[in-house]
Amino acid sequence: MSRFIIRRLLLAIPTLFGVLVVAFLLLYVAPGDPVESMVGERADSATIARLRAQLHLDDPLPIRFGHYVASVVTGDLGTSYITNRPITQDIRERFPKTMELAGAAMLLATCLGVSLGVLSARRPGGLADKFALGVAYLGISFPVYWVGLLLILLFAVALHWLPPSGFGGLRFLVLPALTLGMRSIAFQARMTRSSMMDALGADYVRTARAKGINEWMVTLKHALRNALIPVITVLGLDFGAYLTGSILTETIFSWPGIGRYVVNAISRRDLPAIQGSVLFLSTVFVVVNLITDLAYAKADPRVSYQ
Amino acid sequence: MEDRRPLLRLITFVAVAGCMNVASCGSPHAPSRHELIDSRDEYDPRSLDPALSVDVPTGRAVGYLFDGLTRFSPDAKVEPGLAERWEVSPDGRVYTFHLHTGVKFQDGRPCTARNVLHSWIRALDPATKSGASQFLFPIAGAKEFNAGTAKTISGVVIRDDTTLVVTLTQPLAIFPKMLAMPVASVVPDSTPANFGEHPIGTGPWRLVEWKHDDYLLFARNPTYFGGAPKVDSLRARIIAEPSTAVAEYESGNVDILEIPASEAEEWVNDESRKPQLMSTPALELVYVGINTTRGPLADPRVRQAINYAVDVGKIIERLVGGRGTRAAGVVPPALAGYDSTRKPYTYDPAKARALLAAAGHPNGIDIELWTSSTPLYLRIAETMQAYLNAVGIRTKIVQREAAAARAAARKGQTDLILKDWYADYPDAEDFLYPLLHSDNRGAGGNISFYSNPAFDSVVTASRRELDDAKRTALYQRADSIAFADAPMLFLYFYDELYAVQPWIRGFTPPVIFNGQRWIGVTIDTASKGGGR
Repeated sequence: MSRFIIRRLLLAIPTLFGVLVVAFLLLYVAPGDPVESMVGERADSATIARLRAQLHLDDPLPIRFGHYVASVVTGDLGTSYITNRPITQDIRERFPKTMELAGAAMLLATCLGVSLGVLSARRPGGLADKFALGVAYLGISFPVYWVGLLLILLFAVALHWLPPSGFGGLRFLVLPALTLGMRSIAFQARMTRSSMMDALGADYVRTARAKGINEWMVTLKHALRNALIPVITVLGLDFGAYLTGSILTETIFSWPGIGRYVVNAISRRDLPAIQGSVLFLSTVFVVVNLITDLAYAKADPRVSYQ
Repeated sequence: MEDRRPLLRLITFVAVAGCMNVASCGSPHAPSRHELIDSRDEYDPRSLDPALSVDVPTGRAVGYLFDGLTRFSPDAKVEPGLAERWEVSPDGRVYTFHLHTGVKFQDGRPCTARNVLHSWIRALDPATKSGASQFLFPIAGAKEFNAGTAKTISGVVIRDDTTLVVTLTQPLAIFPKMLAMPVASVVPDSTPANFGEHPIGTGPWRLVEWKHDDYLLFARNPTYFGGAPKVDSLRARIIAEPSTAVAEYESGNVDILEIPASEAEEWVNDESRKPQLMSTPALELVYVGINTTRGPLADPRVRQAINYAVDVGKIIERLVGGRGTRAAGVVPPALAGYDSTRKPYTYDPAKARALLAAAGHPNGIDIELWTSSTPLYLRIAETMQAYLNAVGIRTKIVQREAAAARAAARKGQTDLILKDWYADYPDAEDFLYPLLHSDNRGAGGNISFYSNPAFDSVVTASRRELDDAKRTALYQRADSIAFADAPMLFLYFYDELYAVQPWIRGFTPPVIFNGQRWIGVTIDTASKGGGR
């Protein structure tokens, strides 16, 4: 097991290096210039030229890349051209907030989605199944920003139950987490349902029932555990995606997370901020995927890593 | 200031418009808080270091924390700041500033004339990486210091703790206005490396907390030399999505809302909201820069044809909710130098075709129209495309992010580019000189690459003219020369629309971005949310 983890972590190095190369080159060919954002509308060409020189933007590409890799290896993601703040500090401030939102959304998705899926699979076509189907349809077809705004208008503006936006305690978390998790709830419900239906029709479930085990025990202990693999896959992918920034949700709810940070960095062509956050978020994705793989083994004893 | 979510904007607009009636049911009452809450910042200030201020959120916050020698009132008049008065020499080159005595920074250190010089040196020092240092170049020796050929700014002499003598390279009547810009703010002698995060100024507010992308919290400076603010604290919330800001306003959580242009009409037509609305003529020109050096566009007749081809009145009415004053030149109605008698180009497609033919293009021309991806601008660009196509100016729209489009325009790579221009300081000079003077071709703001010696000489003379009436006349003359040459398609000046909660007293929407420092603003806790 630990050898597996070490091997996977070693394999991540070339992956992340690839990410670094692509991020660097794409930004090099993309139109736009960070100095444009530093000088504003009424600028002076001598100032522009000097800032370009100070930021080494006119150096040959391989030299710039070499410098960047050298500092990244020492754990330094550089300093933002626009704000003069260290990128690592910016990420450290924002990532926990994104993590909080993503975690809450995943919790909702897992609890609500899997429960709905299990309930529907137990009596396909029954009332619970129909309800879950309705929820899934709504969750998948409504666009995030639309749901987000409707939730704000209903719960914040009309009912005054929750704040419309901002970051703070649990009250601030409810609406964005629901908005972000909505699609996952829907997916989880459908995924769990079909996977559970397969499992409930399997021979070992019939055997378990034949032994006279309580139906809930059969469902939760024998069927659900075996049905979890595809559910974990989707959870892992969604979680990775949420952690790397849920730009729409963060924007609508003014959530000070990493998604808005990256979008702002891109619009200002803040190269160190873009490259640093892309690299950091890729690392997060790699780690989440690894955890997902390890969770398979935990859920299903047939899966084992040497 | 760019909107990068075109689809989002469109759909949210529909959703919000649909729900507005439901939403306005829950009228909020006056809050019990002793804190003013602003909702105007759409993105995090880049830094609170005055030297780095080139964007509106930064400029606004710098105005709360710091003072310059001068400052702007909400209606964009120059007022004394740290300087309680000043004298100008008869030749207009030497300014003697007399500073308030006993002014202290928020950490207790005294603020003297020496700090003023130090602050300007700091802003001009290449190591500070300021993008706005050129605003100090009128001071003799500033440019040389910035270029590294001088050790100090020769044009600034400290006579004593409260007297500062500033010599300019040439007479410049608007110099006191330039000193009210964020970059000229006065900072303490030693500034730590993270000064942008932990600023210390002399201003009416001091920084308590800055939660990035969330809010800035300021507390009143009780010893402010200009009279302390009346409310304990001021929170500038950073709300990325305009529809969310509207919801926060509807919930009574913010005191001030800048209503997005796309929603203005609806607010104006809502009787129950009318008492809360305030309008201000923003110093913002929306225009299409025509590169006067590219192919057929070098001929003024072609540029005039472009102006005749587009029905700008209809664009203002249909796309901007009627909240614009038709431009007949670059000087906004709110500033001296505006000539209300000058009539804008009429919508006359036949005349446009005739001018094109006269210029030798009976079969029309092909051009590119660049625009940023802001939804409003995209709609305006598409509308103009249809008008231009109709007279034989075959137009292709090129859509880029604002900064990328601007970079291309500065390099002269665009034919036409739809953009706006916000005043740095409230003076007609800040439109005529950067936008159209040949000194500023390219990066300086003149992306039309317009170069007309007659225009240049009038603008140059106006910059030197100390007599207000004469200067205004020169501005009008320059504007009318440019209007006839049509180096741009003159569109409109935007009128900003604010909503102000009924419990707020003493707030006037500022004409210039840093013109409202909330000093006299109060919260009337007895207010019942009248008018709603």
